[in-house]
Amino acid sequence: MIEATGLRKVYGAKTAVDGISFTVQPGKVTGFLGPNGAGKSTTMRMIMGLDRPTSGDVIVNGRHYSQHKAPLHQVGALLDAKAVHTSRSAYNHLRAMAATHGIPNSRVAEVIEMTGLTAVAKKKAGGFSLGMGQRLGIANALLGDPQTLILDEPVNGLDPEGVQWVRNLARYLASQGKTIFISSHLMSEMAQTADHLIVIGRGRIIADTTVEALIESQSRKRTLVRTAETTRLSELLARDGVRVEQNERETLEVYGVEPLRIAELALDNRVLVYELTPLTSSLEEAYFQLTKDEVEYHSHITGGPAAPGGPLNGSPAVGATSAATMEGIQS
Amino acid sequence: MSTPTISTKHATPSAGTGGVTFLRVLNSEAIKFRTLMSTKLLLVLTFVAIVGIGLLSALVRWNFINQMVEVGRQGHKESVQQAVDSFPPGSGFSLYNLPNAGLNIGILVLGSLAVLFIASEYATGMIRSTMNAAPGRLSTFGAKAVVLVVVSYVLSVVAGTVTFLLASPMFANFGLDLGWNTDGVLYSVFTGGLYVAGVALIGLSLGTLLKNSAGGITVLVGIMFVLPFAGQFLSLAPGEFWKYVPQYLPSEAGGRFLSIGHVDGTLDPWAGGLVFLGYVILFMVPALIALKKRDV
Repeated sequence: MIEATGLRKVYGAKTAVDGISFTVQPGKVTGFLGPNGAGKSTTMRMIMGLDRPTSGDVIVNGRHYSQHKAPLHQVGALLDAKAVHTSRSAYNHLRAMAATHGIPNSRVAEVIEMTGLTAVAKKKAGGFSLGMGQRLGIANALLGDPQTLILDEPVNGLDPEGVQWVRNLARYLASQGKTIFISSHLMSEMAQTADHLIVIGRGRIIADTTVEALIESQSRKRTLVRTAETTRLSELLARDGVRVEQNERETLEVYGVEPLRIAELALDNRVLVYELTPLTSSLEEAYFQLTKDEVEYHSHITGGPAAPGGPLNGSPAVGATSAATMEGIQS
Repeated sequence: MSTPTISTKHATPSAGTGGVTFLRVLNSEAIKFRTLMSTKLLLVLTFVAIVGIGLLSALVRWNFINQMVEVGRQGHKESVQQAVDSFPPGSGFSLYNLPNAGLNIGILVLGSLAVLFIASEYATGMIRSTMNAAPGRLSTFGAKAVVLVVVSYVLSVVAGTVTFLLASPMFANFGLDLGWNTDGVLYSVFTGGLYVAGVALIGLSLGTLLKNSAGGITVLVGIMFVLPFAGQFLSLAPGEFWKYVPQYLPSEAGGRFLSIGHVDGTLDPWAGGLVFLGYVILFMVPALIALKKRDV
């Protein structure tokens, strides 16, 4: 269990984390979401006692991290895949870390096998790919078989099999009653892994809720309508006070009305409609919607309305482009 | 990397429940020290360099005595004893000082290695893993200090012994009584080790304070090798006061610690040792405070 109260960190003139309070419960996977620079990593470093809070407090399993007698058995953390001496082999790195707690070398061999590093364990960690580095970081976090696991962007650079493995591992450990706290800027990844979400933007908590509740609160039910007579149908719908947007030729997006009502209206007025599709927001869209004002590093490359932070466009195709752009910029 | 592996492996409490103790952190640091190929290579080369430079420097001394005896000074031939006595006292040029003849190279390399021992952790990000495993922080510094003191002391003493064993027979032709029972020989072997260990502690402190290998080594070289030159210029300044300042420099005080006997106008060996110890503490205390207070 992780409990933060009024946690705040100021670096010079910049407030990285602005007085946040939250609790991460055991037996669940809690996702920690936010755009780059939102304060996720800073928060995690403060949990691990690497950075001292400017004010506020955070305790893990009832104590400050540094006050635990056997910290590696309490909390395992992957904060930075590069937290390894580049000239030392993965095996020797883990052996040195394990030695601080008298963890036997057999456990080192175990975590190497678990994380699929057996083939490269004797090679220098500096030569590892990003994905291998992540696996080594995860192996390091698992060394003490900790009660609480903190992973900062664990799937960064992992292959699809690795991504799935991390997901399964997190779910498995949570089912064993452990506390799992995973940060990510990828909503789609969190949607499949997390039970609970804490969304952070510019150092403040924007949402602290379940995955379902987040989608529900941010979803905007709408219907995609394709017709040659967009102007006429818009006018008809507008008469009922319905919000209509046109983003493409012969395509309308209609908000807040059931598809049946649109079909009836079109039939009554003899407007030919050749597509009528109900759209629900994905978690990704809900996330963009939530964080659009909080994104610190806007990407303007797409130029269009789909740029994160710009007015949110409902079209799934454009939404996907925007997500891809964000990933590209952030990773 | 499959789900069944997770469940079967994780069911066994194979990680134990042991907590962090200083001895365990020490073991961890010893593993770190042993498991870098570059470190082992450097230690071997340092040993070779200390002995090699020691022998060269012994050859210079042999040549000086030989010149005095064969050719003499201003046409006046000297006896061997006169030549030996003409070495300026306390300059580290006396024959009993032979074990430490190549010590400066040891100071340079082992001091730099000490800087690297912690600064490379900052450079690679390893320090975050280290501080997660031992969040008390100071135990890590202490463990690194113990590893460095033991390694540099043992290496210097062994290299000094080997230097003396190889160099002393060179002087047999002068009929000098030069052996382990000669005054100051054993003393300089053991104090040489202490001096290098002290420099290593200064290096470790600099690496901790600056978090940067290049910066730490530069400052260390500045203190140990450039300051003495500055001190020589300083002693040329007018006024008696400036002549007494250079002997308090770390390298001068430490060097004086290695020699025996009283020399007018310089610190006594024990006083030199204390001044040098003062410098070691002067660097270590801020390093420990910074390590404890600073964000990693």
